[in-house]
Amino acid sequence: MALDFRAVAHKTWRTIASIQTGVVLLILVVILAAVGTIVLQRPVTEPDEMQSAYSPQALRILDTLGLTDVFHSWWFLGLMLLVSLCIVAASIDRFPNSWRYFSRPYKYPDASFRRASHPQKSLAIADEESGLVAAERALHSLGFKPERVVREDHFGIFAERHRISELAVYIVHASLLLIFFGTIVDGIWGWRGYLSLNEGQTSNLVEIRDGSKRTLPFAIRCDAAGQENYKDGTPKKWWSKLAVVEDGRDVQKKEIVVNDPLLYSGVRFYQSSYGPNGKVDKLLLVAAPSNGSGQKQDIGLAVNDTVPLDADTTVRFAEFIPDFAVRDGQVYRKSNQLENPAAHLVVTSKKAGKDFDVWIPAMDGVADNSKSPYQLQATDLKMGYFTGLQVSHEPGQWGVWSGVVLMGIGLAFVFYVVHMRFWVVPVHDAKTGKYSLWIGGSANRNRDAFEQRFNDLVVLVEEDLKSIPRTSPREQVATVAGH
Amino acid sequence: MTLIVLVGLAIAFLLFMAFLNVVKSGNLLNETNLLFAALIFYAGAGALYLGFGVTGTESYVKFASLATWLGLIANTAAIAHRWYEAGHAPFSSVYEMLLSFVWTLAVLTLVAEKKYGVKVIGTITMPVAIVGVVLMQLLRTEVHPLVPALQSTWLHVHVTLAMLAYAACALSFALAAMFLIQDNMKTETFLAVTSASTLAIYASVVLTRFEKWGGLSLVAWNPEQKSEVFLSRGVRLFVTVPDLGWLMTLTLFVVAAPLAFYGLARWKKDESFLTLANRAVFLSILLQVMTLAMFLVRANDGRYPSLDADGLFPTSLAASPFILSGLVGGVFISLLYLLLLWRRQDLGRLLPSAENLDRITYKTICLAFPLLTLMIASGAYWANQTWGSYWSWDPKETWAAITWLVYALYLHMRITRGWRGRRAAYFAIAGFAVVMFTFFGVTYLLPGLHAYA
Repeated sequence: MALDFRAVAHKTWRTIASIQTGVVLLILVVILAAVGTIVLQRPVTEPDEMQSAYSPQALRILDTLGLTDVFHSWWFLGLMLLVSLCIVAASIDRFPNSWRYFSRPYKYPDASFRRASHPQKSLAIADEESGLVAAERALHSLGFKPERVVREDHFGIFAERHRISELAVYIVHASLLLIFFGTIVDGIWGWRGYLSLNEGQTSNLVEIRDGSKRTLPFAIRCDAAGQENYKDGTPKKWWSKLAVVEDGRDVQKKEIVVNDPLLYSGVRFYQSSYGPNGKVDKLLLVAAPSNGSGQKQDIGLAVNDTVPLDADTTVRFAEFIPDFAVRDGQVYRKSNQLENPAAHLVVTSKKAGKDFDVWIPAMDGVADNSKSPYQLQATDLKMGYFTGLQVSHEPGQWGVWSGVVLMGIGLAFVFYVVHMRFWVVPVHDAKTGKYSLWIGGSANRNRDAFEQRFNDLVVLVEEDLKSIPRTSPREQVATVAGH
Repeated sequence: MTLIVLVGLAIAFLLFMAFLNVVKSGNLLNETNLLFAALIFYAGAGALYLGFGVTGTESYVKFASLATWLGLIANTAAIAHRWYEAGHAPFSSVYEMLLSFVWTLAVLTLVAEKKYGVKVIGTITMPVAIVGVVLMQLLRTEVHPLVPALQSTWLHVHVTLAMLAYAACALSFALAAMFLIQDNMKTETFLAVTSASTLAIYASVVLTRFEKWGGLSLVAWNPEQKSEVFLSRGVRLFVTVPDLGWLMTLTLFVVAAPLAFYGLARWKKDESFLTLANRAVFLSILLQVMTLAMFLVRANDGRYPSLDADGLFPTSLAASPFILSGLVGGVFISLLYLLLLWRRQDLGRLLPSAENLDRITYKTICLAFPLLTLMIASGAYWANQTWGSYWSWDPKETWAAITWLVYALYLHMRITRGWRGRRAAYFAIAGFAVVMFTFFGVTYLLPGLHAYA
């Protein structure tokens, strides 16, 4: 039984680590992701749009299968985990081999390797030393650092460059896992929401996507917000002056714009929208006594504010209607758009013991404008504005970004850094008694360019070998001395 | 030699006409003129490359690449002008992206020709560039100010990388197609594929746009505002151009004919059907050109009724860039097949060896893949700066990831399984098909956050 178990485990391991499994999984990811872009997805679609696009039965089936929220479904997450597992297994399976290759470079080619090696070249040489010196010089001039390999029964030269390239693919795979790790961390501990603030308002309540609320351990206050336009009226810039309030103190202040968020203790606040909130910030009025005596005065009112006009008269801003209509002596709110605004003010006179309903604009049958002891005239209506902030907490994003950087480095190594090796071995032919210099080379990619380099090397060695007998200073001196 | 003289004369004539126009308007170096100059030179280069493809006269290539160089200079100047005028890198609209796409394509054509000796590549890329420039003339828009979300350096990085990556993918596709020619793939297989592609183009137009009583739905166009007409947010107003629907349907059947004959030839094992199929291709080209001409005439101006609103509304070619490029692309694909049918022997002589093409395809993908990676990464970084989330599974993002996965699969199969030759070429072609879908299909069919482009 134990043996069986081991066999099964071994087989499972081989299956997970195989490239076929990886390919099948990736194809599955491709198909499911494509489905996720074609079927409407619940998180980004309004519910009624879903209902009008699919029949109830179809919708039920799609929902059950999780096809209406592919990217958050358990099986998509499971698939991604399987892909990760496959990458890990394939890397573990292949890494020891690559590591041996990397840590113990093959420095001396034996006879069978020499026979099979490509490209290779043999050059005739006078003796072993002159051949090796020529090869060393040629390698130096090509920018390599040749190394003499001396063993008990043989010797030669080994030169290489960019050995790290053999491990580059593991860097890429590790970076992918780092990115997955980051997104999983975000999926579990991260959240996204929305915070809408009126100017001057402070809040620590974030509306999360699913409708729930999240209370932050600190609050955000919007000191000011605004919009700048281009000449043609399209928005150019939205900005908000935000302050972080913790324990009643302002701990951080920043003016944020789109593309430049505020970051405080891992939570980011992004400028996302800006506009009128439909509420009145201030209604500016001129009040003049109806009897014509006394002075005009300027007053400013927010909704529900009460301001004294004289010793026994006050005015209260009772109600604001952004879009009004009058029917049967009643004022109705037609919509919340700022189309046709009306303000309801109540002037109270203690002396007369009476309230007067003043409407701006004046409405016959509804308002007591003419009876009021004060005539009110609106000079300006200042609307309030809100700033919309996207709030997000993504603790895993550092994994994502470092993974991205690592992947860039890894891919650069994978595609553009070539591990090149050269071997030079002097060979003595026992039958003829002649010496030859065997030169071999190998590259792990871009082999045609490498062959060019190999040929350059051979030419350099050949030239060097030819020039030695003629220009070697010692030989010339010897000749002179002989005479 | 005659062709060189003819093309030279045509270029000189067009430049002279353009010059007269310039003298009239008194403004030499504006963008329209520069683009027009680029168009003239690219068209000249395209004609010469095509002439080289058909006749194999080596001397055409020298003049063709000279014309490409001149076109590239004009194109660069147009980009610089746009940049200066707008005050930001020109990557924010379809028009501006086409500008840089065509530029990249011209650069890569010259690189492929000079560095790798793939001289005939211009025969494929230059017509694509010409279509791009023509589309730009139609889509020419005023410099629009950028909405707040687009004001980011990362956006420029993202879009530049996207254009570079897509141009590299386009090149790898062209090289893979050439590999298949050199690998002695049967001419009738190309017949089936080209016919199926044109069929797909017409089928998608007819299926999505055919209206009752033989009309064709096109987006209404507001000539004053130079924009599409919207009924409400995101809902476009369509007008129905009468009779064009019937014509499209007729062409649909005719372009399907070569494929049907090919199927018959395979089924009955009768070669004589292939001759019929080739004749059908010829007929289909004539009909496609006619359809294109009708489309150009009817859609360019005139006012048409709409099913959704009362009254007559104008439309414009600029409102239907995808249909237009589809129709032009269809003609172009069929013509390429004719080139192959008639000049297969010469092409075999002119193209690099199959082995070389296979290797260059791989190298191009080795260039495209890191660019795709960086494009996705910069896009994610930008999204994080703007929306507070680096990945939101919006359709464009998802399809970019799918493209990346397809090329990743290609690399794995090639490196670890040793896939070479045909299978690798099919993969490269499939990869480019996904790229095209990501670029056009997603914009057109699956709208999402990437509403800007």
